[in-house]
Amino acid sequence: MTDRPLDFGDRADLEHLRRDFRAWLAGNPLPERGADEPAAVHLHRWHRMLHSGRWVGLDVPESYGGRGLTSLHQVAVSDELGARGAPGVPRIGYLAHVLLEFGSEEQRRRLLPRMLAGDDTWCQGFSEPGAGSDLAGLSTRADRAPEGRYIVNGQKLWTSYAQHSDLCLLLARTGDAASPHASLSAFVLPLDRPGVTVRPLRAANGDDEFCELFLDDVRLTESERIGAEGDGWALAMTTVAYERNALDTGHLPKYGRLVERLRRHAHERRGRLPDGLRSEIGRCVVDYQVLVAHARRRTAERLAGKTAGAESSVDKLLMTRAEQRLYETALKVFPEELHGEGGDVFGDYLYSRAASVYGGTSQIQRNIIAKRLLRLPAADRRD
Amino acid sequence: MEPEEFSLVRGALRSFATRYRVGSADEIAPRTRAAAQEALDELGLADLRRASPPAATAQECALLAEEHGGQPLTTSLLGTALLAPELLRLLGAPATTARPTIALARDLRFPGPHPAPLVAWDGDGADHALAVDPEGIVRHVVPGPPAPTADPLRGVRAVPGGGASVGRLTPEARRHWQAYALVMVSAELVGAARSFVELSVGHARERRQYGRRIGSFQAVQHLLADATVLVEACASATRYAAWCLDHEPPGRALTAARVAKAEVNTSAVEAVYAGMQVFGGIAQTWEHVAHLYLRRVLVGATVLATTTDLLTALAVPDPEVPAGTRTPDTAAALAAPEATR
Repeated sequence: MTDRPLDFGDRADLEHLRRDFRAWLAGNPLPERGADEPAAVHLHRWHRMLHSGRWVGLDVPESYGGRGLTSLHQVAVSDELGARGAPGVPRIGYLAHVLLEFGSEEQRRRLLPRMLAGDDTWCQGFSEPGAGSDLAGLSTRADRAPEGRYIVNGQKLWTSYAQHSDLCLLLARTGDAASPHASLSAFVLPLDRPGVTVRPLRAANGDDEFCELFLDDVRLTESERIGAEGDGWALAMTTVAYERNALDTGHLPKYGRLVERLRRHAHERRGRLPDGLRSEIGRCVVDYQVLVAHARRRTAERLAGKTAGAESSVDKLLMTRAEQRLYETALKVFPEELHGEGGDVFGDYLYSRAASVYGGTSQIQRNIIAKRLLRLPAADRRD
Repeated sequence: MEPEEFSLVRGALRSFATRYRVGSADEIAPRTRAAAQEALDELGLADLRRASPPAATAQECALLAEEHGGQPLTTSLLGTALLAPELLRLLGAPATTARPTIALARDLRFPGPHPAPLVAWDGDGADHALAVDPEGIVRHVVPGPPAPTADPLRGVRAVPGGGASVGRLTPEARRHWQAYALVMVSAELVGAARSFVELSVGHARERRQYGRRIGSFQAVQHLLADATVLVEACASATRYAAWCLDHEPPGRALTAARVAKAEVNTSAVEAVYAGMQVFGGIAQTWEHVAHLYLRRVLVGATVLATTTDLLTALAVPDPEVPAGTRTPDTAAALAAPEATR
């Protein structure tokens, strides 16, 4: 795949879409955020506006509420939002991919249009207090009950935005823990179901994005299971593979805005910026642009028929590199963030420290690359 | 090119590279150099970018440069087959039997204002060299004796005198030229880094210490995983920049090319360091190919533009490209490669 020319998109076709989108944006600007409106609620309003213009899920088939175009089209829309300093498209791309791949026809028709429209907000219940890096070691159980039901008990952690969500993509054990990967299954859990308790956690930057989820005798039906029993691990790996790509997480516009801010600063303070800092800003531009190029290459590869797999660990490490160096540099360029009250950049800097932890730590990503891409021998075997 | 045709060209280059690769520094000799260059010239790759519109896209040429960089080769693909013909094409120069390479400043960066001391770079098989000054004026210069370089695979010759002007690039064509040169040099270095990391992965799978293959140690695995990430970053940036040359205006292509070269300058060297660490003591010897790869990427990181040059240029917002600089002649020379299909 790396040795054949790739198609990064038909410029005229994409330019046409960009023009339409710019025209729409001119009449539909980002709404003002209310005085004490949580960011997630504000973004949700924005999501619904974008959807009303059919700018969400461009690469999802029309029968499921999308527009049946390609990821290149979705990327073009993302780019335009980034260029205008608006928040990116809602971070649902990876969930949509999973439903398309693992959901039944009935589930896709029922869940996808509502997901795209923002009628249902989703969160992801994978990690647990005792199962972080070793996700397959999770202990939440979904036990069979009469009449095709399951009874779920356990606890989830780092469930982003659960307090603002309607549905949770839940990973639970349905079989014998002796075969940890093969005994996992995935479900769609409505968060208003009896027995579900959501508790927000305060993160280091003061935000309450992360939540704990307590599940006490929660009842689920077979129709709420996604895929067959035992498909949970494959589904989870597909989810994280897409989640590790900067394209699907919508992080790129956020980085792009800060990179441009740093460049303008370097330009305005021409003679007064130390050379070392100027180089550091240049390095942030390189990291960011490399990430953009890398994400485009992945899109082009996907269009050429490749599905997301182990190489998404490369994507995640590159994204982490770009994000962490970017915010470290930003703190040096804007020292008032550190010595004053601490503004948005400082909050985002603290969040950037999590980049090497969430979605699989950088060490786990290296293990995956070593084992699955480089086919190096297993670490625990003495032969 | 049609996919099948490109596949054939690439296959031919791969066979050539496998046949003429240098096994160790001691095999580098004038006679073998000449034979290798003759064999490469027979592939006719200098025709790929000579006519307008070109027979091969920039992306295809970048893939060929990457292939050539994968083996330790003394031959000139970049200078004589990919770079100088592109320059002649941009000038609209008529076809001749002359065989130029390109000329660079003594420190191998893009030439400074005329008159500046020059070298003919990557010039095996070349009879003269073309230098592009910052004004876009192209001069024909005659190479003298070989000049010393830390990369023994690369043919570099001193240029004793000045040269006669043979034409001038428009500002737009000059940007395209710089972008194209940066991308092709980057692509060759990506090939070198990728190939050396693959060699070291192969070594880690076989080499045993403490009764285990060293590739089973997590410390070694993480070193190689990081090297892989760096190579992929280089490859993505270079490939995208090559595509921009085919499809985007020269200003955007130049930014993408600078990004690619900046990534390659540091990451290709880091990746080779990682590979050498995995090879251990054997990679410190004269016989081993490791130092040939190291010399290639280390000197390569200074060719055309250094990291400092690039980071300084990229640290500030892109300058606006003045309107009206795109002349009809340049537009034809830069014509999108689709026209050839």
